Amino acid sequence: MLSEVGLVVFNGLTWGMAVFLVAAGLTLVFGILHILNFSHGGFFMIGAYVSYQLLVTFGGGSALSFYLAAAFGGGLVVAFLGYVIDRLVLRRLKHVDHAYSLIATYALLVLCEGFVEITWGVDYRGMATPEILAGASFQHGIFMPTYSMFVIGAGVVLFLMLDAWMQYSRTGKLVRSVAIDPWMSGVLGVNTVAVYTAVVVVGFFLAGLAGGLLAANQSLSPALGSQYIIQAFGVIIVGGIGSVRGAFLASVLLGIVVALESLYFPYYPGMLFYLAVALFVMFRPAGLIKQRGVA
Amino acid sequence: MRNDFLDVYFSGVKGRASLVLAMLILVASVPFSPGSGLTFLVGLLMIQAVFAISFNILFGLTGLISFGQAAYFAAGAYGTAYLMQLDVGMPFLVAWVLGGLIGGVFAIAVGLVALRRASGIYFAILSLALGQLVYTVIRYSDALGRDDGMLGIDRPVLNFFLFQIDLGVGERYFYFILIATALLVAFLWWVWHGKLGRVLFAIRQDPDRVRFLGVNVQRYQQYAFVIGGTTAALAGGLMGPWAHILTPELAHWSYSALPILMSLLGGVAYFWGPVAGAIVFAWLGYITRTMPGIQELVIGGVLLVIVLALPGGIAGGAARIRQWLRRRRLTNEKEAGSNA
Repeated sequence: MLSEVGLVVFNGLTWGMAVFLVAAGLTLVFGILHILNFSHGGFFMIGAYVSYQLLVTFGGGSALSFYLAAAFGGGLVVAFLGYVIDRLVLRRLKHVDHAYSLIATYALLVLCEGFVEITWGVDYRGMATPEILAGASFQHGIFMPTYSMFVIGAGVVLFLMLDAWMQYSRTGKLVRSVAIDPWMSGVLGVNTVAVYTAVVVVGFFLAGLAGGLLAANQSLSPALGSQYIIQAFGVIIVGGIGSVRGAFLASVLLGIVVALESLYFPYYPGMLFYLAVALFVMFRPAGLIKQRGVA
Repeated sequence: MRNDFLDVYFSGVKGRASLVLAMLILVASVPFSPGSGLTFLVGLLMIQAVFAISFNILFGLTGLISFGQAAYFAAGAYGTAYLMQLDVGMPFLVAWVLGGLIGGVFAIAVGLVALRRASGIYFAILSLALGQLVYTVIRYSDALGRDDGMLGIDRPVLNFFLFQIDLGVGERYFYFILIATALLVAFLWWVWHGKLGRVLFAIRQDPDRVRFLGVNVQRYQQYAFVIGGTTAALAGGLMGPWAHILTPELAHWSYSALPILMSLLGGVAYFWGPVAGAIVFAWLGYITRTMPGIQELVIGGVLLVIVLALPGGIAGGAARIRQWLRRRRLTNEKEAGSNA
């Protein structure tokens, strides 16, 4: 019994933190631009491929430091892409109907898939797990891969850093003020356009970083772009769209739901997740943590 | 002048009707063209065109964007195929209509949930999440073939008691698709242009004002949702016997993007927009079919340009050109008049 509880918690946290890594940037961008960005999954995928390419090109070996450096590099490349995309596309979507901006970001996702297919081909690529993370430990009757613990740790660290930044730093407060009332912030002398761009760049950086960190967990293929995005959508909607804390809570909660399902009702994997998201939208559309100033 | 003739002739209802008739004749002559590849693609195109209009009944008229339209399409496709393969020997037409009803009932359920609470992005996500339920059920049900799909779906025999028509012979099933999709399009045309369509369009413009006029806004949106879901399911029901195989991808949310792409490409404000979009989309897909990657770049790029620069799509662009021509003609006439 106890080991079952442990198993559900461990697997739930693994799922939840992996999705949170993807959802963090997504919810940041939504919080300030009010655009639900389908292409976040695409840039997550590009981040994964870029880190893979960095490791292959520079022959990094299997040390953890190289792996982290490659993920960081993937994040930087995607952050630069985010700057370009913001200039070319996102900025123009401000005054476009929600439905159309959703479709525009879907078009970007399709473009990402095309770009990956042309650059890396359609074949699956595999990335070696760093040696130190390749093992597993067996404690209290629970099988715990080291890599899963790494993902959980990465998710928690990212959350603490983002939360501290948003809550206590000057720039974080600026971002929140622009999210709540861009007009008033502008009147008070905040360069709102610069804040928008900065948030998009940070959000895309997080997408690329997540791609690099999670790359060892999956086979890389052009389908990767649409794999995590729906889970991430679910998490940020349940959490309260635009809220980092909400996304973190929802990741844990939905992770537990998914883990419970796979233990006790494994016949239709994923079903409980969609049902949970639907129930939340129905009965608590504002999410776990309601953000002010979010449409 | 030739231009004037075209303009006057094709702007009237008679002109539209003759255009539609010309299109029907063109499609009906496809099986006589050499090579069977084209016939298959055009059959698929007709099904997808109805699928696209079924989406646009909701989006074009009410502005609600459903990201789960593939679920109804797949419910109809799998429902029809499953009923056909049962041992009870259910006639195809019955199976088809029941398949459509399965999609319709599912749409009623989703509509009751989604329209009551959600709007805008939440409606899109809710319809996506509920649509993914269908995908999950199909993918993990033995009776529906799981990931391998349902295989070996035969062209049906229509049994009219007095006589039988074996649709497996020659290209008969192609003509069955033609008739069935033409009837569905005619029905949707009637919905779009009739009283229901007008009320829905008014709701799109200003839901509050329409509510003040004593219209139950939500109920009308629900009508549109159910009509869209049922016709999508009926379009899907034609799919199994045509392709002989159904795969779970038909229910995946990325397949829901297909009618969205087609409608936007063609122009969501026009009834025939999704059809034009479906044709251009099929053509784009066909010429880039051997170039993995390029296909996505072309489709994504075109879509992005449409959203950012040409929200009216092809039909909107054509309307603008027509307007421009008319204005030019008027100024020409004025100049001619002042010269005289």
